[in-house]
Amino acid sequence: MTDSQLLLTGHASVSRRRFLKVTGTGVTGASLLTMLQARQAPAQIKGTTLRILQWSHFIPAYDAWYDKFAKEWGDKNGVKVRVDHIPHLDIPARMAAEFAAGAGHDIIYNGSSILTRLYYKNLVDLTDVADTAGKKYGGWIPAAKSLVEVEGRWHGLPIFYILAPMLYRKDLFDANNLKYPDTWELARVSARTLKPKGHPTGIALSQCADANLFWRSMFFSFGGTEADPSGANPTLDSKELREFLKFAKAIFDEGMTPEVFSWDDASDNRYLASGVACWVHDAISAYRTTEDTNPPVFKNTFLALEPQGLPGKRVSVAAPNVWMVWKFSKNQQAAKEFLAHLIDNDLEGMVQSRGYNMPYLNDRYKKPMPVIGTDPKLQILQDFPKIVAFYGYPGPSTTPIQEIVNTFIFPDMVTRVCRGKESLEDSIKWGVGEYRRIYAKHKQA
Amino acid sequence: MTVSSQRGGPDAASARVAAVSVTARARPSGWFRTQTSRRLGFGYLLLAPAILYVLLLVGVPFLFSLYLAMSDANVGDPVASFVGLENFRAALESDVFYLALRNSILFTVVSAVLKGFLGTTLAFLLLQPFWGRKFIRGLVVIPFTLPISISVLSWKWMYDSQFSVINWFLSRIGLIGAYGSPDWPVWLGQPYWAIAACILVNVWRTFPFSAIVLLAGFTSVPNEVLDAARVDGTTFMQRFRHVVVPMIAPILLIGFLFDTVFTLSDLSIVYLLTQGGPANATKILPVLAYQVGIQSGALGRGAAISLFLFPLLLPLMILMLRNLRRREI
Repeated sequence: MTDSQLLLTGHASVSRRRFLKVTGTGVTGASLLTMLQARQAPAQIKGTTLRILQWSHFIPAYDAWYDKFAKEWGDKNGVKVRVDHIPHLDIPARMAAEFAAGAGHDIIYNGSSILTRLYYKNLVDLTDVADTAGKKYGGWIPAAKSLVEVEGRWHGLPIFYILAPMLYRKDLFDANNLKYPDTWELARVSARTLKPKGHPTGIALSQCADANLFWRSMFFSFGGTEADPSGANPTLDSKELREFLKFAKAIFDEGMTPEVFSWDDASDNRYLASGVACWVHDAISAYRTTEDTNPPVFKNTFLALEPQGLPGKRVSVAAPNVWMVWKFSKNQQAAKEFLAHLIDNDLEGMVQSRGYNMPYLNDRYKKPMPVIGTDPKLQILQDFPKIVAFYGYPGPSTTPIQEIVNTFIFPDMVTRVCRGKESLEDSIKWGVGEYRRIYAKHKQA
Repeated sequence: MTVSSQRGGPDAASARVAAVSVTARARPSGWFRTQTSRRLGFGYLLLAPAILYVLLLVGVPFLFSLYLAMSDANVGDPVASFVGLENFRAALESDVFYLALRNSILFTVVSAVLKGFLGTTLAFLLLQPFWGRKFIRGLVVIPFTLPISISVLSWKWMYDSQFSVINWFLSRIGLIGAYGSPDWPVWLGQPYWAIAACILVNVWRTFPFSAIVLLAGFTSVPNEVLDAARVDGTTFMQRFRHVVVPMIAPILLIGFLFDTVFTLSDLSIVYLLTQGGPANATKILPVLAYQVGIQSGALGRGAAISLFLFPLLLPLMILMLRNLRRREI
């Protein structure tokens, strides 16, 4: 008797097949939960192979640690682990190829461009692992689920994100009686004052990840939004957008040079490390680069929280990193086990990345945090989780947003305004038009 | 002449030939045993790997990309529906597409002209006898043999807005001001400089290939022919235009054909240097197709954008191959 027949006849009897299905699912789920809670790998994964596709981290020491960490977990659980590292920009192409072939790695990493919504039908549901970790470590920070949750289920595990605070030259600020950049207006005043003295500022206005991230931080801090909370409709066209763009044009004209049109993700690191920049808005890689290459400048480089746009409004757009498991993986259980183990050790990952990797779990923010909690200049980073957002704010990371990010519509609109070759309204018309066109295409599909 | 032939019908001899051929057709097994059929069969057998190769590696992907371009396929969903020409219409609705199309044509044409000029010059130089010629001939192909990512990243460093070795050199010799002055070029930041910078890398990388192709052509021109032209009192340019070029035209055309296809479909240089920025000033069709089709997952629209290269290339290919065939005849 089928399920539909049961419904039609109204019989409460249970077929053998249904009984086995229900009890089987229950037993598997319960044992997995028990194992996840007890952090004990099941015997079934012994003798299997786990293949992980991973980015090449900006901090090479992290990769060395990660490879060793994975191998040690494999040795302990009798799993042969293979970790492959590729540049993060190559991951979307590799993911498409693996999906088309129905073969490849078991665990796949996404950085910056999070493709959960594109592939979720083909990704393993990791809600159980996420729930267990959430319960164990005080829940996930609010922005986490926007990256991985589709139709109420988590199809990926966010393990760390990369912050971008303000990094400013305290010596230059003090020498010119400037207040530290707690608001974007103060940041503008400092750039306007210091540019004529040979210390301009810069935020990339090119087609790179930094441009996508940092101009959005400024826009969102001015009260702007990119999509509605459901993520279904773009909300770019607003008076906040106009205010933000006027401000962006002013800060570019007064405090930056055309160099920013050519920048890549590492240019601002070099700009700060060379001693030219009065401030940059960047990941702490800029801080580390300066530490390694220019100690006198490093001594005077301090960090600040994301500046306010509107009073009290701070939104910091961070670069997310997420791990997923393919449905075609023949070793899903080992993949889940490994990811749960990785979450348990995310603080060690933070140490190995020299404070670069920020965790998504609330309990991890108990002060002092490793690395950043012990460095007085970095302590401010501990206050970021409440203001962290990702692309598509305040909505989730949807497929139209991914296309908008990958085709650099937002920074291009800012670039057009800053170049001054067309009116503000023309630039807005172009940007808003591109948003609507892309949203319409995805709705149609 | 028979009556029937006078009326325009077949004569008796023709009828006999027809009857013979009908008889021959009626016994195909006999024909297959003939020497001619065996030679033909053997010929096709030898050709089969090449035909199979073209069908599998060119024909199938092309048909597959046509299918993708007319569907709403995305990277995460194996099931796609037919959408007709919708993806092409979507591409034509975007300003960025027109910019990419313009830049693709500009990139290919300017590169081809520069490579033709530099390649010819280099080929003539390498033709002259001088000490270390073999060594120099080996050196010039280095840009072509280097992994593209490494060479482009080196150029990226040379174009850096702050540490550009080109700028520092120009500044030292007094052609431009110091770093921070208004005349300090930002190679990858100004729209025209940025596209010129991308073209320069493409030319630097592939003009040695043009030179080698031309060199091979020049060495195949018999000295007697050139000597005869010299005796007739021709200048260097006259010999080049009226003797050398017509003789090596097939090589030139094939080289040009390859170069056009490679340049028009080149993704790496622009992607690694600028990703199409600033504000799409260097965006070309392959980069846009990659960003939309692979990075954003809209395979159908990505395939449609990349297929716009096809009508650009097809007439050019037909004209050149027809020209080549005429010359062979």
